[in-house]
Amino acid sequence: MIVCVAVVGHQNNPLYIQSFTEADDALKLHHIVHCSLDVVDERVNNPKKSGPMLNETFLGLLYPIENYKVYGYLTNTKVKFILVTTDLDVKDADVRNFFRRFHAAYVDAVSNPFHVPGKKITSRTFAERVSTIVKSFGFSSAG
Amino acid sequence: MVREVSESCVDSLLTEMVACYCNRFYANKPELAARRIEAIGYQVGHQLSERYTMERPRFTDHLEAIKFICKDFWSELFKKQIDNLKTNHRGTFVLQDNKFRWLARMSVDPSIDNASSVEDNSAPTPENKAAQAMSMHLYFPCGIIRGALSNLGIPCAVSADISNLPACSFVVRIKA
Amino acid sequence: MARVAPRTGDAIFANVERVNAELFTLTYGAVVRQLLTDLEEVEEVNKQLDQMGYNIGIRLIDEFLAKSNVSRCNDFRETTDVIAKVGFKMFLGVTASVTNWDADGTCCSIVLEDNPLVDFVELPDNCQGLYYCNILSGVIRGALDMVSMKTEVTWLRDVLRGDDVFELQVKLLKHVPEEYPYKDDE
Repeated sequence: MIVCVAVVGHQNNPLYIQSFTEADDALKLHHIVHCSLDVVDERVNNPKKSGPMLNETFLGLLYPIENYKVYGYLTNTKVKFILVTTDLDVKDADVRNFFRRFHAAYVDAVSNPFHVPGKKITSRTFAERVSTIVKSFGFSSAG
Repeated sequence: MVREVSESCVDSLLTEMVACYCNRFYANKPELAARRIEAIGYQVGHQLSERYTMERPRFTDHLEAIKFICKDFWSELFKKQIDNLKTNHRGTFVLQDNKFRWLARMSVDPSIDNASSVEDNSAPTPENKAAQAMSMHLYFPCGIIRGALSNLGIPCAVSADISNLPACSFVVRIKA
Repeated sequence: MARVAPRTGDAIFANVERVNAELFTLTYGAVVRQLLTDLEEVEEVNKQLDQMGYNIGIRLIDEFLAKSNVSRCNDFRETTDVIAKVGFKMFLGVTASVTNWDADGTCCSIVLEDNPLVDFVELPDNCQGLYYCNILSGVIRGALDMVSMKTEVTWLRDVLRGDDVFELQVKLLKHVPEEYPYKDDE
């Protein structure tokens, strides 16, 4: 189950963060997202470590922590997407598929003429789309 | 399937947008009109670069990003690539389109050829007016390029050179 | 023999030069956003968009008549029908329908379910008075003006304001049938 997703700008400014748990652990999740940003920076700035997937937007598993797995994605425009899940055996294809759909939703949200680059994404349409994508995580095929 | 509209929609909108800023809002302040038109282009370029880079790996350097503008980005907009790319290897790039579509289409625009539409007779010569209108139009694609590159992490200044019509060169100067 | 107006604009749209709609949609959005910044008043922006549309409409009508092979028709009913079914398709690639005719045939609604202008658009709370697509009403008014039909075009429904479709009311104010007066002057 996905418990948190986030969009973070190129200056590590949060643009969107949403948790999907009943429990009152939003703070903890925000902290996990925050810590993951350093991992993303480190990955991208130390290309040797990431090997052949040097420039791929999908960064894969950033790190496992307690009962969570944290995945990252970095767009060409230096915007980070972070996914926190409680599923421990996650299929790579499912995560890739998630980020692909999430990226499409993000691109449409910032195509709104009234969206100001670098400002928080307040779009209701975006929130609804994200919620749909989150709910269908793991159910859809890799296509 | 990709959604399409007729090219006249884009042409009409651009012509009218330029006329609106140059003739109605800032008739005596072309620099202000230019800045607004460029700003409109900037927003469009910023958004388009987000869309058109969606399914591709990140660029590793400036040249790769510029090449993307010359090839894929230009093709999406004009169904052709930039014809010639030059660089001085010190942060200046010249992108030449041998037949820039928005200028080619403009020359047949009746409001510039001065055929049937309402004309102000006290205006300067038609050639003068046409040249000025043309350079005003070019602030829009300059803004698009600047917006696209800025969003890809490359702050720059972009200007257009039409000394060699119908070719049009866009000069990109990357800010250090 | 009068030429028969095409019933839809599909064939014409297939033959005109087309571009990626995103460029058009985003450019229009950026224009609206810039106008809001420069004019500040939403009312002023509505007015300016309508004016821009009018200027476009009076020029676009020629291309429309030429490409659609429609002879200048004098009947308001026929004209609005052609605008909705052929005009919208030919330029925007979408089909509109005409409904709600009044008894004397001088007022109707053009209904648009799909509209490329508003892809990605969400109105911010401080722009609730904005008729985002006001350029369209201007285009229709301008085009009709050029075929001697003075009209008033107003928005009745707007998807961006929560309605399920776009509905433009077109009201014929004055119809000056073409008489070619200059023929006798020469």
